Amino acid sequence: MEIDEVRGDFKPEIIPKETQGDIDDYEEALHVLMKFIGSMSSALEQVSGRGANAIVYQAGKRMGHEAGKLMEKTDDIEKALGEMGDILGKEFYFEMWKPSDQEGYTTENNGETSVKLLFMDCVVRQALRRTGLPQKGPLCYLLYGYMVGAVEEVMDIKGKLDIDHFGPNACLKTLTIKWGGK
Amino acid sequence: MVKIKVDEDACVGCGSCVEDCPNDVYELDKEHGKTVVVKEEDCMACLSCHEICPSQALEHNDIHVAKRLYIDRKVNRALNKII
Repeated sequence: MEIDEVRGDFKPEIIPKETQGDIDDYEEALHVLMKFIGSMSSALEQVSGRGANAIVYQAGKRMGHEAGKLMEKTDDIEKALGEMGDILGKEFYFEMWKPSDQEGYTTENNGETSVKLLFMDCVVRQALRRTGLPQKGPLCYLLYGYMVGAVEEVMDIKGKLDIDHFGPNACLKTLTIKWGGK
Repeated sequence: MVKIKVDEDACVGCGSCVEDCPNDVYELDKEHGKTVVVKEEDCMACLSCHEICPSQALEHNDIHVAKRLYIDRKVNRALNKII
C-alpha cells in the first residue's frame, strides 16, 4: 500500500494550525479506534468476567463527574438532562421518552423519580457493531456510568441507569434518582 | 410521527417482531398469519424488529436514523464490485 507521506518543516507551536489529515484519515483513525476499543472490551470481559462492567462503569462515572462540574447545579431533572444533552453532543444524541399512555416524562415511586431516556446516536453502539460484539456488554456501562456521574454531580443526588432495551437504531434506558443526597 | 409498513407478501407470520418489541407495537393476526401494527404511537424506532425479521418485511418511515459510522466504506466499495 502506498502512503502519502507529508514532508515539510516543523516548529513547536502553541496552537496547531493544521491537522495534517483529511476526512479519509479521520475515518481510518475512527475505525482503528473502534477495533481497539472492541478488542479491549472483550479482553477485559475475558479476564475480569462481570467485574469488567464495574471497571468500565467506574471509568464512565469519573468522566460524568468531570463533565458535571461544567454544568449549572439544578434540582430540575429535565433541565439537568437538557444540559447533559448539550455536553454529550451529537455523538450521544438522546431524548426523554414516554409511552403514549403516560402523562409526563417523569414518574414517582417510593421517593424515587424515574425518567426514560432514548439514546439514538451512540458511539459505543457503533464500536460494538464495528467489532461484532453484543450490546449491553461492558462498553455500554461506560455511558451508564457517565450519565449517573453527571446527574450525581449536577443534582447532588444518588442515581442509577438501567438498560431497558437495546436495538440497532436506539436504546431505551431508565434513569432513576433517589432524593435526599448521596 | 413514526409510520410502520408491514409487507404482507413478505411477512411469514413467525411472530418474532411481536416477541421482540418491548412496547407491544405489533400483534399477530392469527387468522391471516401476519403481523399487524397495533400501537404505532409507542414505537421508539429501536429497529430490533428489523434485525429479527427473517424476511425483511418491515419498514419504518419518518424516524431518526442513527449514524452508521461503523460501516467500512472500503469494504463496501469492494463488495459493490462483486454484488
